[in-house]
Amino acid sequence: MGSPHTISDEAADQLAQWTPRARLLFDELLDDAGTDLQREFLQRAVASAHTPAEVHAFADELRGLSDEEAYEACTLQEDAPEDYTVSQLLRAEADPLFAFELKGGTIEPNEDLHGGTTENQLPGPLARGKRDLDDDRQKLDPLSKAVSGKKPSDSFEAESPGARAPKKMDWNDLSGGNQPAAPKKEGPSTAGGQRFLESLLAEATRSLHISWREQDVDVPGGIALADALASAAGALTRGIPVPCAVGPNPGDHRRFVVLLQLNTSGKNRAWQLYDPFSAELVWANEGDLLAKAELPFANKVNRRLTRIVLPQSLRSSF
Amino acid sequence: MAPAKSQPSTPFASRELNGEVLLEELTDLRNAQIHQKHLNDLVVGLRDLEGVRVSEASQRLKQLAANRFSGTPALASLLVRWAAKLKAEADVPLLIAHFERVAITSAIVSAIRRAADTLKGAR
Repeated sequence: MGSPHTISDEAADQLAQWTPRARLLFDELLDDAGTDLQREFLQRAVASAHTPAEVHAFADELRGLSDEEAYEACTLQEDAPEDYTVSQLLRAEADPLFAFELKGGTIEPNEDLHGGTTENQLPGPLARGKRDLDDDRQKLDPLSKAVSGKKPSDSFEAESPGARAPKKMDWNDLSGGNQPAAPKKEGPSTAGGQRFLESLLAEATRSLHISWREQDVDVPGGIALADALASAAGALTRGIPVPCAVGPNPGDHRRFVVLLQLNTSGKNRAWQLYDPFSAELVWANEGDLLAKAELPFANKVNRRLTRIVLPQSLRSSF
Repeated sequence: MAPAKSQPSTPFASRELNGEVLLEELTDLRNAQIHQKHLNDLVVGLRDLEGVRVSEASQRLKQLAANRFSGTPALASLLVRWAAKLKAEADVPLLIAHFERVAITSAIVSAIRRAADTLKGAR
């Protein structure tokens, strides 16, 4: 690649999956970064498998900060709220962008970075013109700006369901402890490679700044049920219900249900599950879910969770 | 004199606030053909209430119902009903969180309904 900057192996692995334009832009971001600390944070964000657009937006946020401010904004101290899950805390140690968002920072990634005409790909005067036009659009439609944080033309109705979602990590993932997360594969194995809900949910919750990642449970390349429930607990703690599929065996998805609530009493945790088709609303002990023997729905064939759709890239308010 | 950190009032302390109650509301909103965009807009509007005193929050909820959501009577009615239930300071963030859950659950249920046909043996 010929970057003049020293790149960690983990970051280099991720950069190898980026387009040449995105790699070039990353070099420029490193050039523009004011300090070694900022460059280190950017590399770690790359190593943590954030998209080029996210890294770019992160760099924009860092650029205005002093080293002390950047460190404070991207590091969880001992004052981290108690409702953070262990997996969130561990990931935040390795991923400064994740920690930044966890601490309330927001970024506004321009996901057009990989293609199309974006400000970043325009010569200076044209870029300024486009920026002015976007500003004008937002002034004309303040509600749209408030709702989506994006220009009006990016309303959720306009999103193409067929568009390839940017590769992101599930922020509840417990992967690698203090080490930066390993490079993500394109996705877990699914039934015929099909993801049922991810794009539909992304479309519907885009203006709420929630995206989703669909993963099979207890299959090779998927997520273990215990980890899936741990991540779901983190989401529910922040007020995000979690859709999942149930079925008789791993990989055999028969029905979608929703993990609606989590109730903790002492060491016991109970999950409230909702089946929109049978309109059944039931409580299940976590131990019963982990036993994979039976769910408290009328249909006893579907005895276990087979897939889970976890929220990610959440607003700081969640 | 109310304590600095008040306890939520009964409707907001219910375990089923975000369970049965939420699902009943969702059914009503679905029958009234309230679109997802309205719910998302409502969530964004309600976030302005964060940190607002309960009396003002109640007033602003009613204003929101009368102005922004006057074209969606079912949603406006729901807002007015909840505005009347706000009694304690602790109720305000719980109500905001409740409507966030309503919006997200609505999106999930809609997505599930659309995707169900792709599942083997679904329904």
